[in-house]
Amino acid sequence: MKRVVSGVVTVVLASLAWCGLCLAADGPLLFDLADNNLKISTFYNGTTLDVTGKVPADHDVVVQVSGPRKDVHLKEKGKVAGFLWMNKTDVSLENTPAVYMIYTPIGRPAAAFLGPHLNVGYKALLRDITISPASADKAFIFAEYVKLMEKSGVYAINEGTVRYGEPNNGMKEFAATLTIPSKMSAGAYKVTALAMHDGVVTNRVDKNLTLELSGLPAVISSMAYGRPLLFGFMAVFIAIGAGLVVGFLFRGGGGAH
Amino acid sequence: MNILLILGLGGFVGLLSGIFGVGGGFLMTPLLMMFGIPPTVAAASDSNQIAGASTSGTLAHMRHGNVDVAMGVMLLIGGIAGGTLGVQIIKLLRALGNADFLIAITYVLMLGGVGGYMFWESLQGLKKSKNTTAAVEASPGEEVPDKKSLLQRLPFQYEFKKSGCHISILLPLGFGTLVGILAAIMGVGGGFIMVPVMVYLLRMPMHVVVGTSLFQILFTCVNVTIMQAYSNKTVDFILAVLLLLGSTIGAQIGTGIGRRLKADQLKIMLASLVLLVCAKMMAGLLLTPTIMVALKGGH
Repeated sequence: MKRVVSGVVTVVLASLAWCGLCLAADGPLLFDLADNNLKISTFYNGTTLDVTGKVPADHDVVVQVSGPRKDVHLKEKGKVAGFLWMNKTDVSLENTPAVYMIYTPIGRPAAAFLGPHLNVGYKALLRDITISPASADKAFIFAEYVKLMEKSGVYAINEGTVRYGEPNNGMKEFAATLTIPSKMSAGAYKVTALAMHDGVVTNRVDKNLTLELSGLPAVISSMAYGRPLLFGFMAVFIAIGAGLVVGFLFRGGGGAH
Repeated sequence: MNILLILGLGGFVGLLSGIFGVGGGFLMTPLLMMFGIPPTVAAASDSNQIAGASTSGTLAHMRHGNVDVAMGVMLLIGGIAGGTLGVQIIKLLRALGNADFLIAITYVLMLGGVGGYMFWESLQGLKKSKNTTAAVEASPGEEVPDKKSLLQRLPFQYEFKKSGCHISILLPLGFGTLVGILAAIMGVGGGFIMVPVMVYLLRMPMHVVVGTSLFQILFTCVNVTIMQAYSNKTVDFILAVLLLLGSTIGAQIGTGIGRRLKADQLKIMLASLVLLVCAKMMAGLLLTPTIMVALKGGH
């Protein structure tokens, strides 16, 4: 009998977590994405994604988008012959997320919601990753890597981007518009809402987000990886064909010579 | 990336390709990288679009009788042999250590040397033609050098009619190989080295040089595209097609412009372009970078 009861309790708790409704000591956190499956079609150039939810009125919400962790191989720049800047030394950052974007609440400095103790932000990432060779300056290399990723849009701290509604019955609504940059490639990502109160994370809900190739890009991608030689010939064939067509059109138009 | 921007970039580079007979790889790849395309993808997709652009350019030049097919084939054979050798040299250099440094230095020296010489030489040419009030509308092919002795004694002499020269086939084969090696080391099609080689070393007329260079580039890029797609999977088809749309049209317009310009004007413009890219690379080597790391796999 005891075993049956504990089984039922486990199932109920699991389904509550699955529904995105987590009950913590400080109250519920409701969170959802407008779409959890984004398509990368022919003319895709990045997009936006709306997220919404509810938290207790005295809480704040931070939204985090993170990608699969991988090892990143880098070249550190250095001077050669005393005055020429070159890609010099090999360094690898292990266990680094491909995408890392943070959205912090409106009206407060982002720093209030970031830090290793909250497990949010670049300092938290720095703690989790390892560097090889171990002798390399981890903090410096990681800071430079963050700059590189911020430039391509896949890393970002977006200050003041989580908006709140009016409190109602002790709860308030929140919303944010996430930027999905064109550099964020097809794959599985996690969007997390973190409820915070008095500098402590009181609750969190994870949602899966999938970016998927569709239409022409999907066909091309499967061909490029599945049948690379055929793909190469096709690329050349179409390029030459286009060249011939334009050449023919121009002659038809009656060139000066 | 914005479609109109890609079309515009393609058109600009196609225009240059048509005017000078230069594939434009050395310009397009850095331009694409500036707009955020990964270096490996930029280089490979660029080869693909150059194949299309040079088809249109080669055709246009063939109609005007500007392609020396025999010379082109010789240069191509040399180019492919040199390219294969160049890839092996790069492998060896990588194993030995700082290959990137050598590549960058090669780039700056080659671009600076070739561009500087072409610029100076065509400036002299322009001054001279002004003084003689256009009595001699000289194309370099007519300035046959006197020092025949050694070159004339080489075996396998052949009459390259379109180019107006009687030389050993070993010369284009040899130069083709040399350019192929350099092109492989520098990771470009090599048109901007091939053109000066044909003008100054093989003494071919400028308009035939442009047509023949495009002919040779076409086949080089076909080879590179297939190899890149097969071994590195870095050909971005949609990017290439969009660039192509712009560049094929640009190439046609460029060919028309090229025909209207004098040989010295063409050379001085190409020289300025080469020097500009050289200056940019020099700046990249000398100025402190804003970001001290780069993703491995491109430089």
